[in-house]
Amino acid sequence: MPHIVSGLSLLVLYILQTTIFSQTPLLSGTTDLLLLFLAAWSLQPQVKNSWVWALIFGSLVSIVSAMPFFTPLITYVGVVGISKLLQSKVWRTPIFAMFIVTMIGTIFQHVVYVVSLQVTGAPISWGESIDMVILPSVLLNLIFALPIYAIASDLSGRVYPLEEEL
Amino acid sequence: MKFLTPKNIQTVVIILVVSGLLFLALSGYLTPIFNLSLNPLISFQSWLSVRYLSARDFFTTPREITQLQEQNTVLESQVTQLQTQLIVMEERLGEAQVCFALLDFGRTNPQYEYVAATVIGREISPFLQYIIIDKGSEDGIRYGMPVVTQQGLVGRVDAVIAGAARVKLITDSTSVVNVRLQSAEVEVQLLGSLTGDVSLDMIPLDETIEAGDVVLTSGLGGNYPPNIFIGQVLSTQRRENALFQTASVQPIVDFSSINAVLIVTNFEAVDISPLIPEE
Repeated sequence: MPHIVSGLSLLVLYILQTTIFSQTPLLSGTTDLLLLFLAAWSLQPQVKNSWVWALIFGSLVSIVSAMPFFTPLITYVGVVGISKLLQSKVWRTPIFAMFIVTMIGTIFQHVVYVVSLQVTGAPISWGESIDMVILPSVLLNLIFALPIYAIASDLSGRVYPLEEEL
Repeated sequence: MKFLTPKNIQTVVIILVVSGLLFLALSGYLTPIFNLSLNPLISFQSWLSVRYLSARDFFTTPREITQLQEQNTVLESQVTQLQTQLIVMEERLGEAQVCFALLDFGRTNPQYEYVAATVIGREISPFLQYIIIDKGSEDGIRYGMPVVTQQGLVGRVDAVIAGAARVKLITDSTSVVNVRLQSAEVEVQLLGSLTGDVSLDMIPLDETIEAGDVVLTSGLGGNYPPNIFIGQVLSTQRRENALFQTASVQPIVDFSSINAVLIVTNFEAVDISPLIPEE
């Protein structure tokens, strides 16, 4: 049951991401729902399989995306890693941890994107990237962090008690 | 003097009195008296009428409210159905308008064969400008095919799977299109950017470029067919000691709201990279 819920949630968010959220930018930055859900899902203490979903959906996004070197996969696994690291450090205030993971994870993701694109020869400058993409994306992700965390928290609360009862 | 009988005199007096009263009434002299006598009557009549109507409503309205509520429910459901039909019809009208526009483009450029596709998604990374379309290799789509709309050039097919394809837009930061300016007959390069703006580069300094000049594909490089409309020059920039001048371009295609595109299927992109000497 938790696997089905995780997979379906990420699939729905992936569809929403490609069809709606990628088309509604702030300057040139966009929200990354998959990153937010993976971060929120990883922060749930009872969730153990977030690595698997980061690998699966990271691979899916890497195949669909034009980003080189499977960078989406690297960034999603990295975000789950940051979440797991913070889960043990900031366990008393998970929402605070969610905001920290969102901020650090988004910056990490975009830095990896810029570096990989620069390696492939794309004429992308750091100044323009920070002003037009990274900062707006961080802001958008922080705005959506709370509702996504609430959804993930509610889902994990509904799914895992059932698992324990069984 | 038989006429002056008491009965006749009485009749004459009555006629005179009535005539006098009529004359006074018509001339308005009796209005205060009428008001004084009729006002209580009208007041009473109003009072009685209001009570009667209230009593009648009390006994009859409940049934009418129920009927009205039923009618209202039926009408509301009809309105909802009509609104749904209207939305469907508007969607179909929009699709039809897009189809007609694409068809019109196909008619004006009969030398090419087209496959129409719907845009079903966009690139997740905000650093890249790509769209995903619902036609793939099963529909004859191949890597490198040019993609256009009824307005002008959109980009080229970058990756293909069986049922879908990814299209690199000309606004992408890694996109380079060889173009020519219709007025100046000069061939330059159109570059994309991180923000989705497009600009002309490599314009010789001695060329005079003006705002409003039309930008078309030149066909050089073999990636795009020639003479596809791209946009118009917005402004030019000259820097001191620069070898070339640059210009901002307003694309004719609104890349933020592309819903449907045409893929030119009978144009084979030529890969000239083996001919370019390595640095």
